[in-house]
Amino acid sequence: MSDNLINLTIDGHEVSVPQGSTIMKAAEKLSIEIPHFCYHERLSVAGNCRMCLVNIEGAPKPVTSCSWPVSEGMKVTTACEETKEARKGVMEFLLINHPLDCPICDQAGECDLQDVAVSYGSDRSHYCESKRSVDDLEIGSKIKTVMTRCIHCTRCIRFATEVAGVEEMGATGRGENMRVGTYVEQALQSELAGNMIDLCPVGALTSKPYAFTARPWELVRTPSIDVMDAVGTNIRVDSRADEVMRIVPRENAEVNEEWMSDTARFSYDGLARNRLTTPMHKVSGKWKSITWPKAFEVIAKAHKGVDADRIAGLAGDIHSLEDLYAFNDFMKDVIGTDNVDGRMDGYALNREDGLGASLMNTGIAGLEDADAFVLIGTNPRHEAPLVNTRIRKQALKGAPVLMVGEDADLTYTSTHAGTDIKTLETLAKPTTKLGKLLKGKENIAVIVGAKTVLTRADARAQIREILSFCEKMNVARKDWNGFNVLHQQAGRAGALALGVTPEDSGMDATAIYKALKGGKIDVLWQFGEGDTSNKSLSGAKFSVYMGTHKTDTAKEANLMLPLAAYTEKDGLWMNTEGRVQEAKAAAKPPLNAKEDWKVFRALSDVFKSTLPFNTLKALRENMMEDWPILSEEYWGTKQEFDIAFKVGKATVTDTAYTAPVDSFYLSNEILRASPVMAECAAENGAAKFKPNMKKVS
Amino acid sequence: MASKSTATHLIRADKVFQNLDGAEDWGIKGYEKRGGYGKELKKILKTDPKDIIELVKASGQRGRGGAGFPTGLKWSFMPRPDGVRPNYLVCNADEGEPGTCKDRDILRFDPHTLVEGMIVGCHALGAETGYIYVRGEYYDETSRLQQAIDEAYEAGLLGKNIMGTGVNVDVYTHLGAGAYICGEETALLESLEGKKGQPRLKPPFPAQFGLYGCPTTINNVETIAQIPSILKRGVDWWTQFGRPNNHGTKIFCISGAVNKPCNIEAPMSISLKDLIEEHCDGVMGGWDNLQAIIPGGSSTPMLNPEQSGEVLMDFDALRELGTGLGTAGVIVMNKEVDVLDVMTRISGFYKHESCGQCTPCREGVGWVYRLMERLRDGNGTVEELDQLFDVTKRIEGRTICAFADGAMWPVQGTLKHFRGEFEKRIEAQSKKQGAA
Repeated sequence: MSDNLINLTIDGHEVSVPQGSTIMKAAEKLSIEIPHFCYHERLSVAGNCRMCLVNIEGAPKPVTSCSWPVSEGMKVTTACEETKEARKGVMEFLLINHPLDCPICDQAGECDLQDVAVSYGSDRSHYCESKRSVDDLEIGSKIKTVMTRCIHCTRCIRFATEVAGVEEMGATGRGENMRVGTYVEQALQSELAGNMIDLCPVGALTSKPYAFTARPWELVRTPSIDVMDAVGTNIRVDSRADEVMRIVPRENAEVNEEWMSDTARFSYDGLARNRLTTPMHKVSGKWKSITWPKAFEVIAKAHKGVDADRIAGLAGDIHSLEDLYAFNDFMKDVIGTDNVDGRMDGYALNREDGLGASLMNTGIAGLEDADAFVLIGTNPRHEAPLVNTRIRKQALKGAPVLMVGEDADLTYTSTHAGTDIKTLETLAKPTTKLGKLLKGKENIAVIVGAKTVLTRADARAQIREILSFCEKMNVARKDWNGFNVLHQQAGRAGALALGVTPEDSGMDATAIYKALKGGKIDVLWQFGEGDTSNKSLSGAKFSVYMGTHKTDTAKEANLMLPLAAYTEKDGLWMNTEGRVQEAKAAAKPPLNAKEDWKVFRALSDVFKSTLPFNTLKALRENMMEDWPILSEEYWGTKQEFDIAFKVGKATVTDTAYTAPVDSFYLSNEILRASPVMAECAAENGAAKFKPNMKKVS
Repeated sequence: MASKSTATHLIRADKVFQNLDGAEDWGIKGYEKRGGYGKELKKILKTDPKDIIELVKASGQRGRGGAGFPTGLKWSFMPRPDGVRPNYLVCNADEGEPGTCKDRDILRFDPHTLVEGMIVGCHALGAETGYIYVRGEYYDETSRLQQAIDEAYEAGLLGKNIMGTGVNVDVYTHLGAGAYICGEETALLESLEGKKGQPRLKPPFPAQFGLYGCPTTINNVETIAQIPSILKRGVDWWTQFGRPNNHGTKIFCISGAVNKPCNIEAPMSISLKDLIEEHCDGVMGGWDNLQAIIPGGSSTPMLNPEQSGEVLMDFDALRELGTGLGTAGVIVMNKEVDVLDVMTRISGFYKHESCGQCTPCREGVGWVYRLMERLRDGNGTVEELDQLFDVTKRIEGRTICAFADGAMWPVQGTLKHFRGEFEKRIEAQSKKQGAA
């Protein structure tokens, strides 16, 4: 390794960096700051802003440190008069046509141009010609544009082309008439467009929903985890006076790099709309606000004399580990029923099959080690956009991507191999046209769409076939486990890990739906909104809905209990690769809403069987004792899990896989409550959807 | 007719472009009659490419496109084909430099010189494909060139196994869309690839990572077209013309206030005065009526009459005077010409043609143009002249490509030679305003 290290000096300090590094990287190692605008670590090098010019001894003119490769013995100066002069010059050029509208610019306070101008610019300009003004663009409900502010760094163009994979942004015109835009004015058709807001070093592209709502210095920043998909994107929730003002990504190279999907970024307005804020009781068809003690009385009354076997509990899609743990214990130990399921869409595997059979074994970052992909019944672009960007990286390097199921535009070249399980037989034969694509590939990643493949009636047979395909292709071996299940729901991995499923003879979700229809359930606990695949939840004599929003299913219930949303509570979340990550509360639950575990704890008193925790800390300790894989030492890391799937004899059917996502922008109750998401859905071709804004009175 | 070339005149036999005036047949028959192709080409194609590059190196030929980089050296940077990535030779016929029109006459009156040059160049560089990128405005010229290429294919001089030597060369023409910046070699490659014509960051250089990521050499039309003659007539023939390091013949394009503007092939290091007096019938109104001369296309700083009277037209002599030979597009301005207006106009040209990629050029060239426009009319202050110079210095050398340098040099040259004129106008204007 030492052979490949290059020694150089920057401003007199010696540093060794790997061959092929740039001066910028070397300076970074020495903590020497070189100002820049166009350079971004995760994008290609453009070298056009000219802000990072440095001097190399012996070079005829200054060079861009973002692009210049280091060489042995190179002597670089970053702070000499010449570079200072060069930076001042570039700064002045950038500012001559940049409007002085910082007071009305949303970027102010976190603007690269502002910061760099203060540090490296001049306090006056001798420019006295007219300034350029540029027409703004209308590019959808996510991004507000003020194109006069654009400094043509082309970061947005490079992001759209390289990472998001939609070649919609580009530059037209020459010289000072160069315009960054979408060629044809249209809403951006990308699930990752919002990242351009973060990338834009100035206020040319800013968040449209966030426009003029807050200043960065007023915001309280709370680290959190996104729950709009199962990726577990690391986010920062910015709030002001207990109101979420915006959500931006945090960097985590192993999960989301530094990107986030648009549903995660723009759905926060759904947290403030259509919320359930106080317990409500339906009396003769009319909803009435009641107090918590009164609600508990109603519950106690409803349970009187009811056989535990006729009580069922369903946990929805967005729950933290603590909440699921409390729910599970409450149902099983306090109520005493085994009719408990956290897989409302009918997902067929459980903890006994091994978590490895239900999670993404390569890990999200690990997908970048794969040299071929087989996507079975999944559309990662819509199910998990940030998994898709990882696949895209490999696809651009030439890795074949074979799709089994519904064909879709994944933003890179993919081959539609077939629509059903039989396709795998063809793929396993190296002589077939499709099989040839996988021939000689060492690290094949198989990604199974949980929603499409593993909720089918023949799911267990499906997974048997897929696992046997994996064996044939040597996908799962000691040094490479390429079998992956991709979930859509943020809470699903946690529900499986905690065993929120029937333990003995209890009914699972599918059986519960059937029993509800047959009138065999007296009390239904519906904990949060879940995807029931259009199965009805009515039929119980009494049903309790506990959740954040006044959804349609909530209104079917007899009692609604308000809970805290994901931004309003501390919680642990397990993502689709089994990584446990901690989120902190950024706001308080609205009005009378409570944190979920507290409600279960209080209810356990009502049933005279107190749950053994009084604090979140105690709950976590209990939970970790029961489930050591959730221990603090594993937080944030990707663990390895076994596959213990027992091969059954169920017969597999070869009906085609259905599309995994109806509408990317409307896939859970928070998104459905968000007007911004409704607009996005409409812009992206979905039928005009009106969020449910009607008040329940 | 003299039987031997002099320092100012070439005899027909010493000219590379014997049909530059278009008086004879431009087709393959006419070209063969003038010594093109033939057995000698076959001999060259049988020569080891390495030896060809050595010969070109020995001739010391410097690129005719403006920068004057030694061709042999450039060619020696090319790796031999590795069987994975092909090598390419790209001919830069995007002749956009104001004041230059030499390539145009080569394309329309002697296209086979270029075709033969492409064959030899491709062979020397191990390329089986050559592209000729012609500026969009040269539509007719491209048609002529294409006819010449077709003729060459028909005669078995292009395609597979040329003249039985086993050399394969295919040549394609491509029309640009009229952007000046596409004459910059890496912008040309981008444009050729179908992208927006913007110069690439270097390194990597085209010899390592050029067209479609493959090793590529880009040469000017005249450079390529001269190669077969150099090889056929020998290095000694070539080096007899011009001073050391500046050998050979060169097409000069003289325009502006001369009695007979022309394209003329003459020996290098001809004196500028001889060039104008002998080949262009002198300056309009006589040599004493001369005000300034731009020696090498609009990017090069101008010369004053005194300098013009003494300078030799070659790379080194002009560089010593702070200017350059460039494309040898000589623009002559006599005293009837408003130099400040001409330079403002040139400045406007560069404002229009900047690609917009780098900050200093995108924002600065327009600023310089607007300053020039004001100062030309005397609307400004004397301090602004210093400021103008300052701005040009902040643009020069701070960009990806040499465009910004080329855009700033003429302005700097104007300030150097005509600062007095600027000051006079500023004073007149302020008096006028004072009176009003």
